[in-house]
Amino acid sequence: MPQDPAEKAPAPSMAAVDFEALRDDFPNLADGQPPLHYLDSAASTQKPACVIESIRHCYAHEYGPVHRGLYPLAENASENYEAARRTLARFINAGTTDQVVFTRSATEAINLVASGWAATHLQSGDEIWVSQMEHHSNFLPWQRVCNQRDARLRIIPVDDRGRLDLENAPELFGPRSRLIAISQMSNVLGTINPVREVVEHARRHDIPVLVDAAQSVGHMPVDVQELDCDFLVASAHKMCGPTGIGFLYGTSARLRETEPLLLGGGMVDEVGIDHSSWAEIPARFEAGSPNLAGAVGLATAVDYLSTIGLKAIEQRVRDLTDYAYQTLEAFDEVLLYGPETGNERGGILSFNIEGIHPHDVAQVAGEQGVAIRAGHHCCQPLMQRLGVSSTARASLNFYNNEQDISALADVINETVKLFGKR
Amino acid sequence: MTDQSIYRAVLLDHFHNPRNKGDLGDMQIVRRGSNPRCGDEIEIGINCENNTLESVRFRGRGCSICLASASLMTESARGLKLTQARDLIEKMQLWFGDQGGVGPPGMGLAALGSVRQHPARKKCVLLAWQALDEILDEIERHPEIVGA
Repeated sequence: MPQDPAEKAPAPSMAAVDFEALRDDFPNLADGQPPLHYLDSAASTQKPACVIESIRHCYAHEYGPVHRGLYPLAENASENYEAARRTLARFINAGTTDQVVFTRSATEAINLVASGWAATHLQSGDEIWVSQMEHHSNFLPWQRVCNQRDARLRIIPVDDRGRLDLENAPELFGPRSRLIAISQMSNVLGTINPVREVVEHARRHDIPVLVDAAQSVGHMPVDVQELDCDFLVASAHKMCGPTGIGFLYGTSARLRETEPLLLGGGMVDEVGIDHSSWAEIPARFEAGSPNLAGAVGLATAVDYLSTIGLKAIEQRVRDLTDYAYQTLEAFDEVLLYGPETGNERGGILSFNIEGIHPHDVAQVAGEQGVAIRAGHHCCQPLMQRLGVSSTARASLNFYNNEQDISALADVINETVKLFGKR
Repeated sequence: MTDQSIYRAVLLDHFHNPRNKGDLGDMQIVRRGSNPRCGDEIEIGINCENNTLESVRFRGRGCSICLASASLMTESARGLKLTQARDLIEKMQLWFGDQGGVGPPGMGLAALGSVRQHPARKKCVLLAWQALDEILDEIERHPEIVGA
């Protein structure tokens, strides 16, 4: 098991966490009248008051340009920005702080690696491997770069229980494989993929691995050195942080091989008419004025989660997921996708109700104060594998409780009553 | 379920008991409407005589709003002159457009109004109407198909 980064950051209380009390940290959950049953955290998590306040405080009292001024306000802003990077680096246990690059999102981070690394390393006939359960953001950038470089996009199949079917991807570690890009946790099925095992094999063949950790960072302990991956990406807004900021982790060697995606201010060393040179890593990947308040908000979210403890969060979500799974499974009309409960599954449950379109399920849910998602979840290749056009999805975070899941059960009863066969 | 619910009795009735739904084998023109984002997929078929829609039918799968709207559309469009059908479609599109100030084009369609406050589902409503619009385009281009 990965070491809990929280043990190195602010120490979590040894006492059992009172998760019910933590709901009061989230204004949207605490104020809710009528109550909000928020079961859409895989799309975006709710924000604790401390994160909201840190962003307000940054803009109100500590705001200045980052890496651009020599007066105290600007120097302080630069320091706060870099302190956020240190906090994040410690959180994912990066070897050095400069291995963490701030981006707008996990999506931008993947595009950065596709354009900046893959495009300059792929040759005709090479292969990039992704899995059939990838989010479009970990699919389309690879599809495009493969088309541009006359390379092949290969697919690791998914078995009937929604797990990676590595045995049926015999060429995954073959001589033409140049990069493997897989998610640590599926945003549709909740499957937790054996990333460590994939990296271990890939290492032996010198194939870099990018881990899409958008659903896992902040929800379970994630340690990049333990995973031993080359790249890892995530978004702040899925881990109680603000929208508009995410990050790319890369090993120093891989980042040195990567060209910047965006060119402009702040990322250069020397600019001439015919030739320019880039700044050091990570600045070379952060063209334009940095998102200071975003970085501060993200660091505050990291501190908040670390104080609760990532292992405690993981266990809480596992307990809730187990309860939700059994609740949904009890309905004859409900078809659940993905692995059964247990270690293979995070807090994401995709399901359909026989004969009823998931949009109708989500609409009825909305009217009853239950926020769930319906659609293809930006995973059309996976929908094809499941043989459906869309699913309903309930996703859990540590701030959910038993009542949220009972409310979901009520929604299913109501939906069946309205639309079911009569 | 409140009165504001978009699943008002009329829509539920059309979902559970769709009108003019089924085989399109003997229709003169069939057009498909699909929304790959959510998997709604329907086909509209018509028979036309003397510039009048003698029969309008549909088949397909989709959410309750999409199917109820298709059912309502077939009822509203049947018996209309082609120009009247075009006019009805335009009014539907205006009613579901952003400008406001346009009411439902007929009492029978008023139930769909509850969907207007849910922008994400407007496309579900309009799918059948757009398919009919394309059929009218086709008739304009090739009137011989309907014997004109």
